Amino acid sequence: MTEPAMQLIGLKKQIGSKLIVKGLDFDIQPGEVFGFLGPNGAGKTTTIRMMVGLIRISEGDVRIQGKSIKTDYKEAIRHVGAIVENPELYGFMSGYKNLLVFSRMIPGISKERIDEVVKLVGLEKRIHQKVKRYSLGMRQRLGIAQALLHNPSILILDEPTNGLDPSGIREIRQYIRRLAEQENVAVIVSSHLLSEMELMCDRIGILKNGELISIQQIQNTEEDTPAEVVQIDCPAAYHEKAQRLLQEEFGIIAMASSEKLTFPITREEIPSIIKALAVANIELYGFAVERKTLEDKFLHVIGENVIE
Amino acid sequence: MSNFFQLVRNEQTKLYSQLATWIMLGILIVVVLGFAILMRTADGFVSDYDDATWKQQLQEENESLAEFDPADSNILINNYRIENDLKPEGMTAWEFLYQGNYMTSVLSLLTIIVAGGIIANEYRWGTIKLLLIRPATRTKIFFAKYTSVLLFALTALIVLFIFSWLFGMLFFGLGGDGSMLQVKDGEVVEISVWTRIAQDYGLQLVKLVVWATFAFMISAALRNGALAIGTSIFLMFAGTTVIPFIYDKPFAKYVLFSNLDLTQFTTGMKLIDDLTLTFAVVTIIVYYLIFLVVGWVLFAKRDVAGH
Repeated sequence: MTEPAMQLIGLKKQIGSKLIVKGLDFDIQPGEVFGFLGPNGAGKTTTIRMMVGLIRISEGDVRIQGKSIKTDYKEAIRHVGAIVENPELYGFMSGYKNLLVFSRMIPGISKERIDEVVKLVGLEKRIHQKVKRYSLGMRQRLGIAQALLHNPSILILDEPTNGLDPSGIREIRQYIRRLAEQENVAVIVSSHLLSEMELMCDRIGILKNGELISIQQIQNTEEDTPAEVVQIDCPAAYHEKAQRLLQEEFGIIAMASSEKLTFPITREEIPSIIKALAVANIELYGFAVERKTLEDKFLHVIGENVIE
Repeated sequence: MSNFFQLVRNEQTKLYSQLATWIMLGILIVVVLGFAILMRTADGFVSDYDDATWKQQLQEENESLAEFDPADSNILINNYRIENDLKPEGMTAWEFLYQGNYMTSVLSLLTIIVAGGIIANEYRWGTIKLLLIRPATRTKIFFAKYTSVLLFALTALIVLFIFSWLFGMLFFGLGGDGSMLQVKDGEVVEISVWTRIAQDYGLQLVKLVVWATFAFMISAALRNGALAIGTSIFLMFAGTTVIPFIYDKPFAKYVLFSNLDLTQFTTGMKLIDDLTLTFAVVTIIVYYLIFLVVGWVLFAKRDVAGH
C-alpha cells in the first residue's frame, strides 16, 4: 500500500470549553477525490483550516506526505494547494499579477508554469484584467490556478463549484477527475451539494457535529453492481426467524422495525433470498428494492440538521 | 534569505498596485508645493536683504527680537553675520529643503496609513488565507511586511527630498552652499546643510518609525486597519498634551511621550527636567521592541478563523 497523501490522526479542535472537532482519524490516498460533506456548523471549514495550518490543532496531528503540519510546517505545506472558502484574491491587481505574486512565494515556479496554469483553467483572454472585474466563476478559476501553481500533490477545494454555471461545473468536475486520475493528485473537496459530490468523489466522509459519522464509497462506473437496499414486509412474528436465516445463509444483518425488515444486498442475491424465505415458510407481504441515493444516505446518517 | 527578499518584493508589488498609495504620494507632493507657494507669497517669511542695507536690516531685526526674548539665539547669529560680513542668503532651495523636516508629520501620517492597513487589509480582503498557506513562516511574512512599511517610508522620504529641492529651486533659486550658522554652547558655528538635515530629519524619523510600528502592531493584533490608523494618529498628535498633567509624577519619565521628542535635547527645552538623552533613547527602544514583539507574537500564534 502506498503512503497516504494525507493522514488525520485523532484531530481535535477545542475553542474555549467547546470541542468543535472531536477527533478525526482517516487517510486520503494519492489519486483519490475525497468529499467532505456535512451540514453547516459540522466543522468542515475548521477541519480544512487545520489541514493547512491556518488554525492551530488542539490535539492530534495532520500529516501531509508523512510530514506533520505542526512540527514540519514548511515541508508539509509545500505539497498543498488550496482554496479556503471563497476564492478571494487581490482585486486591484490583474489575474496574472496575482499569480505572479503567489509564484514568488514558492521557489522554482517559472513564467511558463504560470502560462500553463492559466491555459489549464481557461483564463487566457482575461488574465491581464483586474480581478475586481472578474465574475465569481472567473475568480473560482483563478483560485484554482493559484492552488495549482506549484504542482501540489494535495489539492484542497472548499466549495469548488460555488458560483459556476452548469458548463463551468462540468468542466471543473472533469478537471478534478483528470488531476486525480492522471497526475495522481489527492483532491479534497467540501460541499453541501450532494449530487455534485456523488459525481466527483471516490469517497465521501460525512461530518456531523465535529465527528466523522460515516465514510461512503461511491461507485462511479455503471458496470459496477450497485448496492441495493431491500425492505421486506412480513409480520413481526417471523422477524426473528428471517433474521436468523439471513444471517446464517447470506451473512446479512437485517434491521427490524415494526412490520418491516431492512437489509442491504447485491442484485444477484435477490432471487436466492426470495426463494430461501419462501422455503422457510416466512409470510411475505411485500418485497421492495430501492437504490439509495447519496442524498438519502446523507439524510439518513445526519438525521435532523441540528447544530449543537 | 532570497525567500525573504521575494516576500518584501511581493509586498511592494501589492502596495504600488493600489491606487491609494499613489494618491498618498501625490498628496505629499501637493503639500510640499503648497508650502513653497505659501512661503513665497506670504509676507514676513522670506526677507529680502538689500546689498547696501542688510547690516542695518539685521540690527533692526535684533531689536525687535530682543523685545520678546533677549536670549534668542538668532541675535547672536545676526551679530556674527554683521561682524564677519556674511550677508544672509534668505530663502534658498537648501533652506527650503531643510524646512521640510516639519513635513515629516505628513510623512508619518502616510506611513501610519500604510502600516495600519498592510496586515489588516489581508484579513479584510480574505487573502490572508492564501498568504498563510505557503511555505513561508508567519514570522517571515510579518517581518517582510514590516520591512515593506519602512521601505515605503524611505521612498516617501526620497520623494519629499526630491520635490522639496525641486520646488525650492523653482520658487527661491539655488543660492549658496546651504551651510548655516547655528549657536552651540554660546558660540556661533557654521555647519553644512547635510548635517542639519541629517540631524533634524533623523529626530523626526524616530517618531515616525515608532508610531508606524505601533500602527503595525495594532494592525497585526486586532486585524482592524481603521482602529490601527486612528489610535496611532491620535496618540502621535495628542500624546504630548498629557505631559503637562503628569510631568511631576514619578512615572512620567517612563511614559513614551516624554521621551519621543528628541529635539528637546538639541534645543535644551526638556519636557521633564531629569531626562537624559541616553535614558530617552533606551526608553524609546524598549517601547519599540515591545510593539514589535507583541505584534509578531499575536500574528504568528493566533488562529485565522472565519469571518
